[in-house]
Amino acid sequence: MDHRPQAWGRPRDDVYGAYDASYLHNNGPKTATQSPIVTGTSVIAIKFKDGVVMAADNLASYGSLARFTDVKRLRPFLSTSVVGFGGDVSDMQFLDRHLKELATDEAYEHEASSTTTDEGGSGAGEGQLNAANLYKYLSKLMYRRRNDFDPLWNQILVAGLDAHAKPFLASVDLRGTTFTSPSLATGFGAMLAQPIMRRYAATEEDAARLTREEAVNVIKECMKVLFYRDARSLDRYSIAVVTKDGVELSEDEQLEKQSWAFAERIRGYGTQVV
Amino acid sequence: MFRNNYDNDSVTFSPQGRIFQVEYAAEAVKQGSVVVGIASKTHAVLVAVKRNAEELSSYQKKLFPIDEHVGIAIAGLTSDARVLSNFMKQQCLGHRLTYGRNMPVRTLVDMIGSKAQINTQHYGKRPYGVGLLVAGVDEQGPHLFEFQPSGMTEQMMAFAIGARSQMARTYLEKNLDKFADCDREELIRHGLRALKESLVQDRELTVDNTSVGVAGAAKQDDGSTKVDPFKVYDGHDVAAWIESVADDKEGDAGAGEGEGEGEGETEGMEVDS
Amino acid sequence: MTSIGTGYDLANSIFSPDGRNFQVEYAVKAVENGGTSIGIRCKDGVVLAVEKIVTSKLLKQSANKRIATVDRHLGVAFSGMIPDGRHFIDRARDEARAWRDTFKTPISTADLASRMGGYMQAYTLYQSVRPFGITAIVGGFDSTEAAPVDGEVGSGPSCGAGGKVLGKTHGGPFLYMIEPSGLYWGYYGAATGKGRQSAKAELEKLDLGGPAGPALTLEEAVKEAARIIYVAHDDSKDKEFELEMTWISGADGPTKGLHQEVPKALREEAERLAKKSLEDDEEEEPKEEKMEE
Repeated sequence: MDHRPQAWGRPRDDVYGAYDASYLHNNGPKTATQSPIVTGTSVIAIKFKDGVVMAADNLASYGSLARFTDVKRLRPFLSTSVVGFGGDVSDMQFLDRHLKELATDEAYEHEASSTTTDEGGSGAGEGQLNAANLYKYLSKLMYRRRNDFDPLWNQILVAGLDAHAKPFLASVDLRGTTFTSPSLATGFGAMLAQPIMRRYAATEEDAARLTREEAVNVIKECMKVLFYRDARSLDRYSIAVVTKDGVELSEDEQLEKQSWAFAERIRGYGTQVV
Repeated sequence: MFRNNYDNDSVTFSPQGRIFQVEYAAEAVKQGSVVVGIASKTHAVLVAVKRNAEELSSYQKKLFPIDEHVGIAIAGLTSDARVLSNFMKQQCLGHRLTYGRNMPVRTLVDMIGSKAQINTQHYGKRPYGVGLLVAGVDEQGPHLFEFQPSGMTEQMMAFAIGARSQMARTYLEKNLDKFADCDREELIRHGLRALKESLVQDRELTVDNTSVGVAGAAKQDDGSTKVDPFKVYDGHDVAAWIESVADDKEGDAGAGEGEGEGEGETEGMEVDS
Repeated sequence: MTSIGTGYDLANSIFSPDGRNFQVEYAVKAVENGGTSIGIRCKDGVVLAVEKIVTSKLLKQSANKRIATVDRHLGVAFSGMIPDGRHFIDRARDEARAWRDTFKTPISTADLASRMGGYMQAYTLYQSVRPFGITAIVGGFDSTEAAPVDGEVGSGPSCGAGGKVLGKTHGGPFLYMIEPSGLYWGYYGAATGKGRQSAKAELEKLDLGGPAGPALTLEEAVKEAARIIYVAHDDSKDKEFELEMTWISGADGPTKGLHQEVPKALREEAERLAKKSLEDDEEEEPKEEKMEE
């Protein structure tokens, strides 16, 4: 009989075999996040002549479970930009807090450098961080975290205006990959929405001809397609329009005029036998 | 001999609530040769008189570029200035790397202000023995700041620090209203005239002892600011400017209206007052 | 001063035989030389005002701010050594940020005052540092509404009390003043700096205390604050000064819960009234004497 204190209260080795403590000894490398837990699906955005439209649905999934149905995945920054988050929701919350700190710091600086209120000036964010600055910052942050092997499990779209007041839209993901395009989509949207958006804005020139109304309609159409085809999506969504006048954000939109007639023709899934 | 007990370190208040060590550090600024800074709506300029230790030595630099859009003029301990200058360069580069833009000048100046304040509150540290004029442009246009050893930083329309700088300040005060609308060349000439006010009798501005630094900001149609980078001019590059203010009577000679700087300046130069 | 030459005033954190820390008292002297700062806590917010002595014509007008925002809903004004004040503000901002990091919610005015009081006090404890040469006035409006937690993404339960106690009120306007010793009190109206005596006398005439709470509204307080700074400045008429004013209201007020500079138009109106009131006083005084005759 083993009388060492370590063995007290333990099943007897001679009856049950030695305790398998292998799980306590981590032989592999140290690991941080290996997969996202609660996730948001696609974020889509398209430039038009005066700004950018972005949308994302209000769902946070836990695996295939539609766990939270009123989650806001578009976050305005100051009054100059919108950040859209796909991927892990807790990492999004972390980034949201972080961006709030950044905005507070920016407000401190802006206050110190202002001469006095209403003395002219172009109002919306003169001298404040614009979308391009914010994107640069976020991409450095994401890339650093991936090099620490502790990535923030998101794909992020940043929309707003750049230093020359031109529409700005760019993407950064958990690997620190950065790119930009007249229209962008994360997750399933990259497969399902991007081809549709490219029909309207394949090039910067095309995008510069789009009106706001056209851009909003394209986005709404894409959100509908995504709801039809993406099993992790929802028909409630948020939509944001960024222009030089600031950010207009609506967080409780409902998909309109749905028609599921096409579902009848889908073969290979479900219960149909023919 | 009277011995002041309250002036040995920067952690002791005098009964009047003063900190002598900080005040003494401010005296070190007055030992340095004079520097002048002026900001208009479009430009920020710094001008300085350089000193040489002896006839055969070189002249000590007074103007230092910090980043594309900012430069400083120093008066006081040059080695202390170099510490601050290095710090400012690093901050500007770091900001450019993370945000992809010029660091706002005010933010930069506040940073050295905070850094200097620490030295006035802790035993074993001493205040910086240097004063700075920081000139720069950012998205909000041109700016001029003064930095003192106490950590005090203030935005100025125009200012002068260093030896005999009061005379230069008097000139600046007299002409203050004109600066805002001056163009680049006029602003530099005002700077040089202010500088001349502070020169010791029978010293004058020469291509060897004069430095000029300028940064510009032009508002574009799209609302963005095009930066004309901070550049320091020395030697023959400043000859024309020195020449253009050579015939001025001392006192409140205003901006010359004529374009022609350098040769051919007539005596009847227009003086507005 | 009796302390001079006794040797007990040559270093910080030294008690004199009668229990005083002279270095702290000397720091207070630095405050008393500084421009006047005041704070008024009124019914629907807080107003802060400072008298900025114009030390040089060459200073850029209204470009050098003296009242700073901490987080979004707090303001700090101070009198005394300006670089010390900047340090105080930097620290206050760090505290507010650290509070958010830990509790995911904005720091309350009382908690910030407590943290900063502790910070100032620490600078009286060691010979290796000197006390702050400032007295700071901290004003804030703690949210009366249920604010979302930082980073919150969805909403809470759609039925039930959700942890709320019916009829319980939260937040409101608060005002504190912190001295170089680290001592701080809550105030209805606070004044420090050169003109504090006359400013206090004026503040005491206002209806700020009482069991029913202050009767003064925010706009009235702005006008009173401007007037009080002008009155307090009156004694040192020779020097020019600039008036800087900020205010904080609740979410339903003009600043929507944020600490902001008082709009230019309102400030100028307040200054006009302040000057007028001073002129009226000057005219009245001789008249009264005549009437008495």
